[in-house]
Amino acid sequence: MADKNGFFDLSKTALTRRTALKGLAAGAGLAVAPGFVRYAQAQSSAPIKIGFQSHRTGIGAAYGRWYEKTTAAAIKAINAAGGINGRQVEVIIEDDGTDPGRGAEVVGKFATQHKTDIVFGTLFSHVVIGSAPAAGEAKIPYFVVSEGHHVASTKLNRYVFQPGITDVKSQIQAMAPWIAGNVGKKVTMIFPDFAFGYDHRDYLPPALKAQGADVIAQIAIPPTESSFTKYFPQIPAETEVLYHVMVGPAVLTFVKELGEFYGSNRPQLFGFMDSLEATDINSPGLEFLDGSHFWEGSPRYAQPDDSAAQKAYRAAVGIDDNGAAVGDPKDISTASHMFGCWETLYVVKKAMEDAGYKGPEDRAKLVEATEALTEFAEGPEHPQGPKTFNGKIHQCFGIQNISKVEGGKLKVVHKTKIEDGLYEAEGDYTTQAL
Amino acid sequence: MGAPAKMAILDSVSSFAQRCRLGLAILPAALWLVSPTPAFAHASDRGHVLLLPTGYYLAGGAFAVAVSFLVLALLPADRLESFWRRRLPLFALGDSARAAVSLISFAGFAILIAAGVLGSRDPLSNPLPLVIWTLLWAGGTLLQGVFGDLWSWLNPWYGPWRLASRLFGTGDDAALRLPRWLGLWAAVILFFAFAWFELVDPAPDDPARLAADAGLYWLLTFLAMLVFGYRDWSRSGEFLTVFFSMVARFAVVERDETGRLGLCWPGAKLLAAEPLPISGIAFLLLALSSVSFDGLSKTFFWLGLFGINPLEFPGRTAMIGSGTFGLVLTFVLLAAVFMLAVLLGRRLAGNEHTPGKAAGLLVWSIVPIALAYHVAHYLTALLVDGQYALAALSDPFALGWNLFGTADMQIEAGIVAGADSAWWLWNLQAGAVILGHVLAVLVAHGFAGRLHPMPARAALSQFPLTVLMIAYTVFGLWLLATPTAG
Repeated sequence: MADKNGFFDLSKTALTRRTALKGLAAGAGLAVAPGFVRYAQAQSSAPIKIGFQSHRTGIGAAYGRWYEKTTAAAIKAINAAGGINGRQVEVIIEDDGTDPGRGAEVVGKFATQHKTDIVFGTLFSHVVIGSAPAAGEAKIPYFVVSEGHHVASTKLNRYVFQPGITDVKSQIQAMAPWIAGNVGKKVTMIFPDFAFGYDHRDYLPPALKAQGADVIAQIAIPPTESSFTKYFPQIPAETEVLYHVMVGPAVLTFVKELGEFYGSNRPQLFGFMDSLEATDINSPGLEFLDGSHFWEGSPRYAQPDDSAAQKAYRAAVGIDDNGAAVGDPKDISTASHMFGCWETLYVVKKAMEDAGYKGPEDRAKLVEATEALTEFAEGPEHPQGPKTFNGKIHQCFGIQNISKVEGGKLKVVHKTKIEDGLYEAEGDYTTQAL
Repeated sequence: MGAPAKMAILDSVSSFAQRCRLGLAILPAALWLVSPTPAFAHASDRGHVLLLPTGYYLAGGAFAVAVSFLVLALLPADRLESFWRRRLPLFALGDSARAAVSLISFAGFAILIAAGVLGSRDPLSNPLPLVIWTLLWAGGTLLQGVFGDLWSWLNPWYGPWRLASRLFGTGDDAALRLPRWLGLWAAVILFFAFAWFELVDPAPDDPARLAADAGLYWLLTFLAMLVFGYRDWSRSGEFLTVFFSMVARFAVVERDETGRLGLCWPGAKLLAAEPLPISGIAFLLLALSSVSFDGLSKTFFWLGLFGINPLEFPGRTAMIGSGTFGLVLTFVLLAAVFMLAVLLGRRLAGNEHTPGKAAGLLVWSIVPIALAYHVAHYLTALLVDGQYALAALSDPFALGWNLFGTADMQIEAGIVAGADSAWWLWNLQAGAVILGHVLAVLVAHGFAGRLHPMPARAALSQFPLTVLMIAYTVFGLWLLATPTAG
């Protein structure tokens, strides 16, 4: 915190974005950090420390950057409103390199070296899966923002939570009623031939069947493929909806070649925004997507009926009406996923307050308090929409957006209900010992 | 979900896990997880490059290199020689401030090491990894290649060594002499260790880890300089000085023995170079092969060889074995084809010189290629992480300082995003790579003239090396155009 002349200004106590996130390092004492001076006396009033397991480098870096921005904005808002239990919140970033091996190491560092209260913020599923055992072993609550079904599958452990973003099984299932009712009943799926594609391959057909629609063909594309023309003849002629979830650098090529294959006479297209997160939908090659539909977690583009909470959230994170960084219009956000960081931090706040959380000795109480949560109302803390929370499977359920590409923007045409994405619990974490 | 579907998922998960060869710790987790899980392979800016007509660039680049060879072969050697010898004298620059500059640089280095230990744990907020990897390694190489040997002033050893040798009264005399047979082998081994740390180690950006490694390297180098003398150790053991001084030979700024600065044509200083010993040949080839491997290791092609799914890249921890293997393999392959090209050329020209002399001279033509590929390869990192570096330098210890007024600057990652940027970046990268190879042909031509005064023989002797350079142009462009992970 420096004044206009660049000198230290200890009179300000609110944290800037930067100081909130750059955080405390190995040896840098709290006592010297501006904003914390008044808390330095008693441990009970020292800041709450959140360990942010961040994809700063590696293949997740584009997401990691926006997760960092969203987290910084949420922490700033939380601290400005008095922090958690009257204590300021400090975030310590450790880079996991989007690497499961390092992820586990980082969780260990948070638990033993930085002694953070919780670990937070992981996106990539393989990093979550690689890190979860370390969190369980250290008995440190681990709040992920991953979208994977791994938490809800109850195959991880009692310390892992996903309260701020819905899981992919729920998302896929929630799409089925709208697809069957609005775009077509004969669906052909094109997906990459690995785990990400298999979620769609396996969850969509039963959900569509329940709505009286059918998957008539499934085309798996090898992940290393960079040209797709040879696969298109496998699409049955009677296809009414082409459901596509390609990811990776060749997505633009995929769409371009699909356009060349079909010309103007194409089936309806339905995709997941995962394919084009952080990518401008007006990029050359993507013209063919005009008029098609996408799942969006939280809308990239500002909508006419945005709630005040949604507007405030977008302003706080710093994204413009097109979902790009304010002042840097080519830096497209990962809007469909990053809101989960904001919402998860507010869930942590609520659970810590419910538990009367004081420090690492209360971690078990924090786990139980989180499990006791049942719903989150739409509002400034949950700008994406209302959610329910199943404490047995540590997973939240919420609404999804279906958006149409129109005039170079994504316009939300339907919001699903929470019930559309509910499914039978596959287990119960609360039976595990703490 | 029915039983068959569940079985199919189980099968697919287990076969996927086998393909991916995840780390031991993760494998059981992946196996017992009944439901597969999503990954978020970003469409990334390489996606825009995939839509560009890169094939034409590959063909055009090869053609440009081939044509420049032919044109040079037809051009009279003396015309070229007089052109290369042109100099534009500037002013004299004494050595008086060199120790002071180096001492300031050392102080900065010490602060950075302290920041690595005490500052933010975030590698994009801590100035140490940003300064070392982005400003020094990516940016410093570029500056050396353009402006000459700035490193001889800026390195953090010269000043402290001068100070220590004055204090101990040892002057310039070294306690021990390095054996002649050692050549540059110490620098080769240290450069390999450096490249391994950068490209294979799981966490080269981790501030504490980097602080420990960089601090230790500084100390060991300083001790080696005290024992073997600054001049000897920096010429044959300190790999950064060896690398930077080789790159600086390409620069357009020249400083003669009297300290007078002058401008010259790019690469003109290379022509006066003496043949490198075998260890020097190995060093230059390693410098090029390691940066090439950095590009290669992320391609779908390379990952496919190891059964890695690039869309769910398992992270560096899982790639240590294949990375180490690849780093060695690219060096061995490049060294083999380079030596083959030189030996073939020597044979075509009638074996006028020893193979050592021919290779030792011609290897200097690798410098512009290494420099060009370095620039192309690190361009986007320089543009984005360079901004992070400026911000981090203002607040090295994450205490809320704003020393240079840049602490709160907006990092514009959009500078490298989108189709327009991809077009510009690709053209800059392709231009640099092609230009680097054309200049390499030019330099090789100069050396061939020195080795074989008869123009016909000189041209003949160059033919195999030119074929190698054409191939390397195509390879370098392909690395920048092919699909990559991340």
